[in-house]
Amino acid sequence: MTLREKITMGQFVVTAEMTPPQDADGDIIRRKAVHFHKGVDGVNITDNQTAIVRLSSIAAAKIALEEGLEPIIQMTCRDRNRIAIQSDLLGAAALGIENVLCLTGDHQRFGNHPEARSVFDLDSVQLIAMVQRLTQGYFLSGETIKKPPALFIGGAANPFADPLGFRVIRLAKKIQAGARFIQTQPVYDLDRFQEWMEGVRAQGLNKKTAILAGIMPVKSLKALLHMENEVPGIRIPKSCFTRMENAEDQNEEGVKMAVEMILALREIDGVQGIHLMPMMWESVTPRILDEARLLNR
Amino acid sequence: MSGEKVREIATLEKREWGKGEKRISRIMLFFEDLIKIPLFRCQKCGECALSSTAWICSQRCPKRLRNGPCGGTGEGGTCEVYPERKCIWYKIYYRSILLRRLPYLRYMVKVHNWSLEKTSAWLNVFTKRIDPPTLFSKRPKQHDT
Repeated sequence: MTLREKITMGQFVVTAEMTPPQDADGDIIRRKAVHFHKGVDGVNITDNQTAIVRLSSIAAAKIALEEGLEPIIQMTCRDRNRIAIQSDLLGAAALGIENVLCLTGDHQRFGNHPEARSVFDLDSVQLIAMVQRLTQGYFLSGETIKKPPALFIGGAANPFADPLGFRVIRLAKKIQAGARFIQTQPVYDLDRFQEWMEGVRAQGLNKKTAILAGIMPVKSLKALLHMENEVPGIRIPKSCFTRMENAEDQNEEGVKMAVEMILALREIDGVQGIHLMPMMWESVTPRILDEARLLNR
Repeated sequence: MSGEKVREIATLEKREWGKGEKRISRIMLFFEDLIKIPLFRCQKCGECALSSTAWICSQRCPKRLRNGPCGGTGEGGTCEVYPERKCIWYKIYYRSILLRRLPYLRYMVKVHNWSLEKTSAWLNVFTKRIDPPTLFSKRPKQHDT
């Protein structure tokens, strides 16, 4: 069954994130793919994440597809205008890719080419609306498409960035525009996530889309501190730091924290899945899914 | 027409600009700038959405987002790109609450027609190139705050 079918049927789904390499070595993707064969319903392939040049998302997705995975390509507004985005999506659909996650994209200032000219022709809400029109058979120009791309559209949400009220409004806009699944930023602050979910449930948004809560396992205190300082819009409570600091084996503690978070998130009404972001630690995926009892669903 | 479905989400160029129209646009832009630049730090996008963003120009956002903040707004509303600045959408949100204009933020702002850059938004309203400001349209229902 495809991700689209599983989500439409209301099943609990697991997606995971894979980062393509910073070189032309396709074998790295093939090697990483091994970790996602069991228990993962869709694999996100990032699109030049944090504005660092990496192997193209669509090319990597094609390799993943050949390896038997179901890829979700990511499409950002930073590098492409409406012409390039539409063209790339037609190409992706022709290669057999069925899922696309529409994002605004990190600003190039954080990447390895801060001198670059950014595009931001559209924003993520408009991007979702445009892809929705593409699937319905229209280009953004209004011209019709003979064979429209059959794409399953997703979006992202960050429940942890301020202001909280706007986050729900923006989510509603994305759903209105056509997002059928939503992957959130990694959850460390469960209270804040609950608060956001309350707003989501109050408007019945979780019934119109599938909310997949983000999980990011960390290897060490250093990694946690790095995220706190470098990744904008992330919220990590103090208790996480103390827990990591006092742990004997920080690696183990990271896995334990992720598993506990998954179990807690599964209890929340309206959460239809988990989005695992192991950030260059893809090998931990089967273990976390096993311990969270998500391998054999 | 097939264009209708797309017009819901995008401002499409409907017709060529007449020669006189360009001149009128330039003159109107001069007066528009006198008002809008000091008051709103207008970025002359030509597709003014000030009336739906509580009179704060959203185009000051480094990503020029038109539909709300990106996911990088820090605690207390700092901009992710320039941490010394406040996120413009953070300001818009709280001003909208203050002016009771929050419902306007729920509408999707259409895909920008970049060929309207540096043209007079006022003229564009009169020539029906862009949607009229919400100021003149009916106030949407306020279902919650």
